[in-house]
Amino acid sequence: MNMDLSRRQFLGTAGAGLAGGALGAFGFGEIEAAFADSIRPFKLVNTTETRNTCPYCSVACGVIMYSKGDLKKGEPAEIIHIEGDVDHPTNRGTLCPKGAALLDFVKAETRLRYPMVRRPGSDKFERISWEQALDRIARLMKDDRDANFIAANADGVTVNRWTTTGFLAASATTNETAFATYKVVRSAGMVVFDNQARV
Amino acid sequence: MTRKGEVSPDPTAIGDVAAPPFVVLPDPMRLFALRAARLRALAETSALAPYLRFLADLAAAQNMTLDGLPEPTRPDADALARAKKFEMPPLDRSRILADAALAATFDRLFAAAQKIEQPAAAADALARVMQAGLAEQEAMARAVLADALPVEAMAEHVYIAAALQIHFARLAAGLAAGSLVSLGDGTCPACGGAPSATMVVGWPGAHGARFCTCSLCATLWNVVRIKCVLCGSTKGIGYKEIEGGAGAIKAETCDQCRGWVKILHQHKDPGIDPFADDVASLGLDLLMRDGPYRRGGVNPFLAGY
Repeated sequence: MNMDLSRRQFLGTAGAGLAGGALGAFGFGEIEAAFADSIRPFKLVNTTETRNTCPYCSVACGVIMYSKGDLKKGEPAEIIHIEGDVDHPTNRGTLCPKGAALLDFVKAETRLRYPMVRRPGSDKFERISWEQALDRIARLMKDDRDANFIAANADGVTVNRWTTTGFLAASATTNETAFATYKVVRSAGMVVFDNQARV
Repeated sequence: MTRKGEVSPDPTAIGDVAAPPFVVLPDPMRLFALRAARLRALAETSALAPYLRFLADLAAAQNMTLDGLPEPTRPDADALARAKKFEMPPLDRSRILADAALAATFDRLFAAAQKIEQPAAAADALARVMQAGLAEQEAMARAVLADALPVEAMAEHVYIAAALQIHFARLAAGLAAGSLVSLGDGTCPACGGAPSATMVVGWPGAHGARFCTCSLCATLWNVVRIKCVLCGSTKGIGYKEIEGGAGAIKAETCDQCRGWVKILHQHKDPGIDPFADDVASLGLDLLMRDGPYRRGGVNPFLAGY
């Protein structure tokens, strides 16, 4: 923008330091300089606004998440506010009561942060690693499928059904995730399947 | 039991759904009066009070100038159709100057501005701009319209800019809001001007929507949030505010074009006027000057930042 060039020229010719530009030209240079001195001790803080999709249901409302700090600049960031995204065509700034309480959902003490298991007969959950969790899920699914898979119905027609295990996938998935989920679940013969939580 | 057809549920009507208009054209009769009032209110608590009071007086002079001004020459139907066809702003800057209404605006504003209490530098500049003939005033206007304020005659040009604000606000007010279309990033759909700042509003029916405000004609136009209004990028947008601030005025920074523009949250501070608060939040400009970003918002009254 040309205004940058003008400023440099002015500072070069007049050597007036901060009292360049319009304020100086109108004769308010001293006030400007005093104001600049008073503002110097202050610091700027980074805040971020991030678009996302509400995770609750298949409507997939747009939300804006406000955070203090900027991860891109290597700072820790903390979400301080979440509101409906006015520019999002689905919800145009509105949120349902669940969506409006998303901040508490993010900050909930009881929020699940890692895989946990409650073993048969136990009365409490214990933390396990992702490796253990995925191995255990695969093992149990395989055992259940081997025991209960229906290859053919009473008339001898091939049906390849697995009715004893169900699958519920997330709501805020992309089309690609939903496609991959569908392929995996249906290929295994699973018939009890929903890829979007219902409203 | 309710019969089928008696009610027609419309889930989209639940709550207050925002449907912001694309443009909000200025109302010159209120624009400068509200601006003057806001500047005076800000001057009560600001360390920049003398400058804000001077601008308040100037805005009041702009408001007084309006009364009885001859009608500006408005673009005819052909010009409007041509602008629309080629996606150009309906107010053509190059054709605006030869207008008796603009000459009258210059005369009346400068006469009114003479009554303002102002430093000697400002008064001298005003005297020089009044002595200059219409041809010279129009040459200065061309420089202002090109956003190129020469440093040796800055104050004179800013006085000219104040007159142009009146003229273009009146011209913009005469356009049909529904006929205006987006002309690209950072371009006013009415006059092609650059934004001075952007503002998130709390108006009923548009709450939370963001509007760019034109530095020249004061038209507001709707722009998606979390997007650079200078280059249109949505990547690497950040916000900076002065530590301990109320979150009402922030700098929206863009890592793509390395520019920043003020974003004023009017829904948090309903008194915010996009022009007055842009000047009064000079502290943000001062602190941003030390950073890697350049100011992208155009405001002749803050020239130099």
